[in-house]
Amino acid sequence: MKKEFSVVGKPIIREDGFDKITGRAKFADDYKFDGMLHAVMLRISETHAKINSINYSEVENDQAVNSIITSADIPGAKKVGMIKNDQPIFCDEVVVTPGDVLAMLVGEDTTRLRSALSKIKIDYTPLPTLTDPQKSLDPKSPLIHPELGSNLIIHHPLRKGNIEKGFTESDHILEQTYTTQLIEHAYIEPEAVIAIPLGQNGIKIIGSIQNPFSARKIIAAVVNLPLDKVQVIQAQLGGSFGGKDDTMCILSARAAVAAIKVNRPVKIRYTREESILESYKRHPYILNYKVGFKSSGKIKAMQIDILADGGAYCSMSPFVTWRSVVQATGPYEIENVHTDVRAVYTNNPYTGAMRGFGSPQPVFANESLMDEIALQLGMNPVEVRKINGLKAGSITATGQKLQNHDVNLLTVLDTATKETDFQNKWKKYKKDKSIIQKYDFNKPVFNNSQFIEPDQLIKKGIGLAVSYRGCSLGAEGIDAAACYLSIQNDGTIYLLSGLAENGQGLRTTFSIIVAEELGITTDNIFYLETDTSRVPDSGPTVASRATLMGGGAVKNAAEILRTRLEELIRAEWKLKAAEKIIFKNNLALITNHKSPITFQDLCKLAANRGVNLATIGWYKSPNVDWNEQTGQGDAYFTYVYGCQVAEVSVNQGTGEVYLDKITAVHDPGTVINKLGAEGQIYGGVTQGAGYGTLEEVTTENGLIRELNFDQYLILTAKDIGEIKPIIVEGKEIYGPWGAKSLGEPTLELTAAAISNAVCNALGKRFFNLPLNLEEILLGKKLRPVEVKRGSLL
Amino acid sequence: MIKLKFILNGKEVIVETEPSIRLLDLLRDRFSLTGTKEGCGVGECGACTVLMNGKAVNSCLIFAAQVEGNEIVTIEGIANGNELHPIQKNFLKYGAVQCGFCSPAMVLSAFALLEENPNPTEEEIKDAIAGNLCRCTGYKQIIEAIAESAKEVTSH
Amino acid sequence: MISSIEILTPKNLNEVLGILSSNGGDLRIIAGGTDIVTGLKQESNRFIKTEVLIDINRVAEVKGIGQANGRISIGAASTFTEIYKNQIVSKELPILKKAVATIGSLQIRNRATIAGNFVNNAPCADTVPALLVYNATIEIESINSKREISLQEFLQGPYITQLKKDEIVTRINIPVPPENFIGDFYKLGRRQAVAISRITFAVLMELEKNKINEIRIASGAVTPIGTRFSELEKFAKGKEVNNNFLKTLACKMGDEIIKLTGLRWSSEYKLPVVQQMFYQILRSATKKNL
Repeated sequence: MKKEFSVVGKPIIREDGFDKITGRAKFADDYKFDGMLHAVMLRISETHAKINSINYSEVENDQAVNSIITSADIPGAKKVGMIKNDQPIFCDEVVVTPGDVLAMLVGEDTTRLRSALSKIKIDYTPLPTLTDPQKSLDPKSPLIHPELGSNLIIHHPLRKGNIEKGFTESDHILEQTYTTQLIEHAYIEPEAVIAIPLGQNGIKIIGSIQNPFSARKIIAAVVNLPLDKVQVIQAQLGGSFGGKDDTMCILSARAAVAAIKVNRPVKIRYTREESILESYKRHPYILNYKVGFKSSGKIKAMQIDILADGGAYCSMSPFVTWRSVVQATGPYEIENVHTDVRAVYTNNPYTGAMRGFGSPQPVFANESLMDEIALQLGMNPVEVRKINGLKAGSITATGQKLQNHDVNLLTVLDTATKETDFQNKWKKYKKDKSIIQKYDFNKPVFNNSQFIEPDQLIKKGIGLAVSYRGCSLGAEGIDAAACYLSIQNDGTIYLLSGLAENGQGLRTTFSIIVAEELGITTDNIFYLETDTSRVPDSGPTVASRATLMGGGAVKNAAEILRTRLEELIRAEWKLKAAEKIIFKNNLALITNHKSPITFQDLCKLAANRGVNLATIGWYKSPNVDWNEQTGQGDAYFTYVYGCQVAEVSVNQGTGEVYLDKITAVHDPGTVINKLGAEGQIYGGVTQGAGYGTLEEVTTENGLIRELNFDQYLILTAKDIGEIKPIIVEGKEIYGPWGAKSLGEPTLELTAAAISNAVCNALGKRFFNLPLNLEEILLGKKLRPVEVKRGSLL
Repeated sequence: MIKLKFILNGKEVIVETEPSIRLLDLLRDRFSLTGTKEGCGVGECGACTVLMNGKAVNSCLIFAAQVEGNEIVTIEGIANGNELHPIQKNFLKYGAVQCGFCSPAMVLSAFALLEENPNPTEEEIKDAIAGNLCRCTGYKQIIEAIAESAKEVTSH
Repeated sequence: MISSIEILTPKNLNEVLGILSSNGGDLRIIAGGTDIVTGLKQESNRFIKTEVLIDINRVAEVKGIGQANGRISIGAASTFTEIYKNQIVSKELPILKKAVATIGSLQIRNRATIAGNFVNNAPCADTVPALLVYNATIEIESINSKREISLQEFLQGPYITQLKKDEIVTRINIPVPPENFIGDFYKLGRRQAVAISRITFAVLMELEKNKINEIRIASGAVTPIGTRFSELEKFAKGKEVNNNFLKTLACKMGDEIIKLTGLRWSSEYKLPVVQQMFYQILRSATKKNL
């Protein structure tokens, strides 16, 4: 039964569009307050060091320095964390990664403050460093947090069936190792926050904060205030992608500590260099896969061992790697699965939540592996996926039966392959042997046979990847969301969700839901400023859960108010039970009733009759369950499915990969916000393509080389070819009209599809992301010994 | 300190300033024109793009003293009150705005392009915005919006 | 942010020369500022002592592009956008036009200037290989002297040039190349736009039937500084163009680069690519003649 929608699924102009396109939208750094001071950070360029003493005597009488803020100024918790409290607000005892901040200087002029920083004398002793995650669990390695007794952050085991039996029953066994790289969120807006002291009313925070409620919890703990005395307001957020969470909580807490001490507003605003230096990143993974399969293509057993580099702090590593353990096999029904995922501490930059959240890494590995199985068996990539792909009623690796929604894996696969004429192109482009030359560095000067004829230089390839993805938080934690909705006497509406607008278009999506439910247009809905003091805690805006969970709460609120309006109409016109009321085109239409009433008149009437037209909507997810010992259970209450096909041209002389076209077919359930959904696909694919071909944060003994956008390269408008989004709307019982998730699925597939396409073009498989120039040409990465900006060698 | 005179969004302005502060800071701090954003400070992201004598430039790479006598247009000078410029309207219509941090600069790059080349090819549009990084949109809806604006401009 | 620096805005060349000769503090000329401002922000050693910046954007003598007496003269403070759009450059100096188009972003090209590109002698300066194959000379003035030298001579070593403290580069002069010259510019970066060069080179030649009458080859970002390959040019002169010879020439270029540069961390990638792409460029440039 497909509902006819008035507003849902139509192109609707963004709620915050006017302000953003005219420059009026206020981002955190755009706020100024009387008497506001600025804070700058004290750091040392060390990866691991014991701080013996810090001598501030040279700056104590410095005119530019209004106050020195150290951990002694913290009234409450000195260490915080999303899951484990292992991250100090100020690292004045030990530095465990170069981004660590020892203290802050507060004053009026950041230039003068920064020069004052160099006058502070820090006496420290360098400690042995640990930068190779493979050595983290070696007893000889230094402990990053000695009080924890181990460098193991988390271990997620998963055991299904009998792995030995599975391998015994297999005709073929394939073992491969894949690696993925450290990458940066690269939101264009660097971090900024202002703390405003409110005396006995506590503190107000305005910042570029992805999750205001997480920030409130941490700030409250650090400044030792109850939650109601910490008001967190989200400024317009200039991109986040999972990245403005832990870092912003800590920056907010630092600003709050300073503001309370100096009793003036204090702003922290990071340069791009500081942002890249201190903020957490996406986990690099080392993934070992062993797969057993029959000659028919049926997979019998999969053994997976994954090591994630969590860097210096725990952050979200336990949850990121939990999603990995659930989804590590890919969307395939496999009887026998044995998976271990571990995250470990190192002195590297710490890693946490980033769009994709533990899926882009295993998707790259398992989708490369599926192509290898196909090639080994002389099949094509579509066949092998069809044989093993999840269908309605399939049992996943975690032992969950897929039901209550369209299991559309094969539908998206079929749609994508038909759209792109995949199988014909794949066959046509396929290289059986590698055409990429092996260069002997001992003979750097060519012989004539090494030259490529011009018409052979560019090779085309096509590749695909599929995935399934659990929606929302799953067994990570409590999953519920709230919404405040208030209809005014003239029919205009205030709307506020406990989830946050991070640029993805949540305000617009939620406005559409209200408009649809009440039969009005979105321009009568005013979305309020995101403020922790105005709406219940709705958990974090993560895990592509906003439309599903937050949208569910919005729909619930709108339904409550619509019901009250219906009851009013029934009472006022003394309707019979059989008479129906439809809210549409700004009218309430009553069957067999000749004159409809406008929404505005109805609201006026409700006011005159004393009807309450304000409410809190609520949506709580159905239960999920998880056994931590076996990795079995109903991990998520529903799933989405996607397939992307990459068409590439590869220059085999230079290793350049040109992205000609990406076809992205996704089933996000019902699409509420059409422009927003397409925008998620375009943006997600482009980020995924950057992950596949270009982006990498490299470190030398923990120190980051790429500290600004001149060296950390993301794709420009000229680097991405055509993107074709295709949406398949599967049926779903949860979420508003069956709307689920899209933001992250769009990103997790692209790198894998590109790698498979490059293999199709060159006949050579690549195991290590990103597929940059050197990786393609030499099969390895080259690292500069010493980096000088803008210099060549 | 120097006394600086230039045209800002169509009006002559005079301001006392340190000569070596960046145009970006002059606009944001002295004129409260906060639609001009800082994303990198090294001319790589383009979020601080303004028009100088009609050309798109990075305001983070220009010193205040270099602005003397020149004409600067920021995003605040593009719309006519609440009446959006066609480029702005199309950015909204085509979903070219997500987080919005790069959007003002992106509009200015598009504006400069269409002033000079009312009928650009897709490649020319990409060239004009290659210096404006966007992490949200994948550029597609931005390119569509600019192409549509070009059609509207040329048909008038 | 960079508040301790004084900025002077002279109105003509004489004023500039006067300031340069005054010998007060660490003076530096600024035009587009795309190199200097980022250098100052990043506290680069090259700029850290700067006390006075001399903005030359109002100085007519260093602006404008013209053609006279068989030479094209480009003002030192011409922006890349001005060069790219110039009719003379489009007609006579297509290799320079192509090089200019690959530089930075439009915002950068609208500000950055041609002399600014090479006056610091950074190896990744994209106009250098093009200017070298065009036999560009540069005019240098001080209050007491005026001289014109070849760009090749001017560029002495990485970040070192012949420019003296009281001098300014005023113009770049290029003899109009004969009409039958063919050639190309090649740049490889990590991205399709706004990318620092990994590899650049330019080639310009005159063929008579299939014989190389003259050939000029110059590199950018594969040698410590941009340079002409005179050995290679001598070797190629008078030779018949065929695929085998072009391959030999490309191999010899690899050889030359090793001589000039030695083996570095990046050589493992760059050497095969330079040889391969040099061959490709030679093939496409000579296509009509084969």
